[in-house]
Amino acid sequence: MSSKARRTLLIVQAVIAAGALSLSALPAQAAEVGVTSSAIKLGITLPMKGSASYGYNQLPGAMKAYFDYVNANGGVNGRKITLVVKDDGYLPKQAIQNTQDLIGKDKVFAMVGALGTANNQAVADAVNLGRRGIPSLFINTGFSGFNDRKAYPTSSTLLPSYVMEAKLMSKYIKETYADKKVCLLYQDDDFGDDALVGFDKDHGNLTFTSKIAYPSLSQGVAGVPDAWVGKFKAAGCEVQIVFGVSSATLYTVLAAAKAQYAPKWILGSVGADIASINPATTPYIIGATSMSFMPSVVDPKDEYVAKFKEIHAVYNAKAKFNSWALIGMNSAFLTVQALKAAGKNLTRAGLLAVLDSDGAKLANAGLVPLNYSKTSNVGYNGYWFGKFNSTGDLVPNDTFTYTVYTTDSGTGAVEKSSYSRPSMPAKGLPN
Amino acid sequence: MRTATFKSRAFAFISATSLLAALVVVSPATAAVATGPTCNAATPVQTCTGTTSDGALYEMRVPATFNGTVTIWSHGFGSNTSFPAAGLTIDSSPQIAPANNAVLVKYLTDKGVAVIGSGFSTQGWNLDEAVKTNTELVGIFKAKFTDTKKVVAWGYSMGGGITQAFAEQHPELVSAAAVMNPVDAWDAQSKYFVDLLWLLKNWFDPSIQLTGYAAGVTGDMQMLGDIAKYTAILKSLQASVATGAWPSTSSASAKALQSAGIPSRSALLLIGRLAGISAQSSSFDGIAGPATSAVTAWPLAYAPALGTLENISAVIGYALLGARDMQSKMGGSNFDNSTTDYSKQLSAADRAIYNAGFSGNTAIAGMLSTLNPLNPDAPRIKADAAAVAKSKATMYQSTGKIKVPTVVLMGQNDPVEPAGIVQRMADLYEQDFAAAKEAAKAANQSSGYVAPRRQLAVLWSVTPKTWSKFTADGLPIPIAGTPGTGHTNFTAAHYKFVIDAALTAASTGALPYKLEVNQSFKKMLLTIDRTSAYAWMKHYTTK
Repeated sequence: MSSKARRTLLIVQAVIAAGALSLSALPAQAAEVGVTSSAIKLGITLPMKGSASYGYNQLPGAMKAYFDYVNANGGVNGRKITLVVKDDGYLPKQAIQNTQDLIGKDKVFAMVGALGTANNQAVADAVNLGRRGIPSLFINTGFSGFNDRKAYPTSSTLLPSYVMEAKLMSKYIKETYADKKVCLLYQDDDFGDDALVGFDKDHGNLTFTSKIAYPSLSQGVAGVPDAWVGKFKAAGCEVQIVFGVSSATLYTVLAAAKAQYAPKWILGSVGADIASINPATTPYIIGATSMSFMPSVVDPKDEYVAKFKEIHAVYNAKAKFNSWALIGMNSAFLTVQALKAAGKNLTRAGLLAVLDSDGAKLANAGLVPLNYSKTSNVGYNGYWFGKFNSTGDLVPNDTFTYTVYTTDSGTGAVEKSSYSRPSMPAKGLPN
Repeated sequence: MRTATFKSRAFAFISATSLLAALVVVSPATAAVATGPTCNAATPVQTCTGTTSDGALYEMRVPATFNGTVTIWSHGFGSNTSFPAAGLTIDSSPQIAPANNAVLVKYLTDKGVAVIGSGFSTQGWNLDEAVKTNTELVGIFKAKFTDTKKVVAWGYSMGGGITQAFAEQHPELVSAAAVMNPVDAWDAQSKYFVDLLWLLKNWFDPSIQLTGYAAGVTGDMQMLGDIAKYTAILKSLQASVATGAWPSTSSASAKALQSAGIPSRSALLLIGRLAGISAQSSSFDGIAGPATSAVTAWPLAYAPALGTLENISAVIGYALLGARDMQSKMGGSNFDNSTTDYSKQLSAADRAIYNAGFSGNTAIAGMLSTLNPLNPDAPRIKADAAAVAKSKATMYQSTGKIKVPTVVLMGQNDPVEPAGIVQRMADLYEQDFAAAKEAAKAANQSSGYVAPRRQLAVLWSVTPKTWSKFTADGLPIPIAGTPGTGHTNFTAAHYKFVIDAALTAASTGALPYKLEVNQSFKKMLLTIDRTSAYAWMKHYTTK
């Protein structure tokens, strides 16, 4: 070692030793990464720009709005929350980089609300959140694989699994459109594979007159959606499911309009909201069926919608309050409750334990139950069905009365839910 | 300074026709009896030379201020066949430091450290021969310089594997080791090499021979013919990344995949993932995209295939030379994929992460179906029983076991020696270290707890956050030397840092405390990450 390097080492050792002495005067509890006596730092990676960002890029603003509201009211156990947002462009390699930075450089306490099946698989594989004990809560995906507690011990998903979604969709279609020719367009990856399981004879038992698997990105290739529509139209499809991302839905309905193909549209929850991409496309989905686990964002009598809208108007005033804002604020609302329940002595292990023990009891806007437990990483487990109205908003009916169905990712039955949602806590703050 | 990996120049210089026209075979020097060391008594650093008993030429640089510590360098893979037209010759000249870099040698001798190394008696896959040579060479040095106290072994690539095996087998000789992007044991390394070669041959040019080369010049010519074909394949794939067209030499199964609309870039990417080669390379990060409508499609669909292609181009020469060399030594192929289920070599994470690049699950299933062992259009390699027996009887399978303080330097996207080689060493060491801590706790009952000393530090050479660049027209710009990519893409600063750490470990018996606080550490894009999770070599994960 050079003399300079040796001097550096000695200085560093001295500094560390001095630090150790001063720390020894503090209570025995070691501070958790991302937590101080006055602050909690959280992180999120998701697409904020580019073609895959529409809708999703509104989530962080809404989450921050709720966190700011909580902070203005004393924070969580006296700590104010900050959310560090990183743009991954919906690219797995960028999501890995972002997560490594959030953990290693920004020193976040936990990840919350990260987006996407492939991205979160990539992060789990490369960043190894499980081995490091770092929570990644309320991931916005419905891929059933995340319920593997061994592979993803510190991750939890928010959405019902795509298997559940397909099972519920099967029941709805068989009851609503009996004897009609049903056709399916689905994404040719884990997302779509989950749906196929949900539709198969052991689960939803829905048969298709025609089905097309589209590789991701092919929806944007000129002429490709026209070819899909051509095949569906030629097959005489009367009910058309689109189980894909928003851009696939968008290009398909545009191609259908051009080809004068007018089936009954059933749009999967992930890709239904094309009005968020381009409000001008709203006319193309008016009357189309889709599903949600949240109340309709235009529901005039829902207390959660009302409170979140009120908070949003103050803390994220420049942004429109829409279904994305509702989901973002709800994720933040869940996060705050979990952090509060984890107590003053906040640790990553403690936060994960709260989700296991009390995650299913957390108040939230969802109209279906949460399923967090020691054996389940999955959040919601059901949906209600509705149609898009003239403003492009999904509504159950004119009276905003919801018929909610629940199921599991296995062969369990689809049942009408008797779930009674906890009331919104006073002032929209956790009890 | 950026030094070349081994005695070769890059395979990018290969011109198949010139190779075929100008083949010259040179026999390596051999000697039955050790000679030397003969020293020139120069000051301030004298040079001593000689040969070991197996004929390896060696060199020693010993400063007048010799402090009792000597480094022994093991060089990288060298060709056992001479291709002068491609800049390759059998080179058995001694190497005492990375690429015999004079600055590094002076850096060490100025500290009073002696610097030695040999050229080894044989090239190619020479791990066993090299360990014997190193063992003998240390003995020769100690006999000449009797005040020798510490020996630090270091080496990269093939020499990294040699260094690790040397330290494993002779901890009584080695005080500390610096292991840089080491080869894995042959079984793991050959699976990586030959999987890659076979998959390329299988889909893109079944006329490639790959196994059963004749002895001598005839075999050399056959291998050169294969190199020409692999070169043609890679050029064709590069030219058709956008269109997805398959090489004209593709197999019938491959042409069926083409007819089904699966682009060749998807097949190329799948080959990379099945073999375990990184999809991030010096030019392609899989993150940045051109400022066009392809900003998202590019990193998802094209960059992984191009990154794989760039990395394959960097490894394919080593792979073929290594495979052929071992076939020659063992008298046949000890690689066998007759029952390999390649679908099991595609991880669930890769299936999801690269799904768009593969063109979706249906395309993945279609491609994997043609790799079924029963497909007559994809004939497998059946190992030669005698070659397998010979390799088992004669080849040391290094375990990666850490027995002396060891510093490892590894590029996270090295195309020749994947990061999983070191990841396995690190993972196994963590198990050993945990066991050592438990043992220390148990001993605490009677004698008080004494924490075990950590014996392994892995320094990962990592990439910048993003590095791909594009022209205004959206075309990728080739980039050379991106940190964390390429084979042995290290600088003099890296080498100094690593050898200093090993010298300190040899001196104190323990690795330097907190290597990462060194001011130059971050500048070199190095990181110590004990939670890294690079995939192990497929040999281990598909057993």
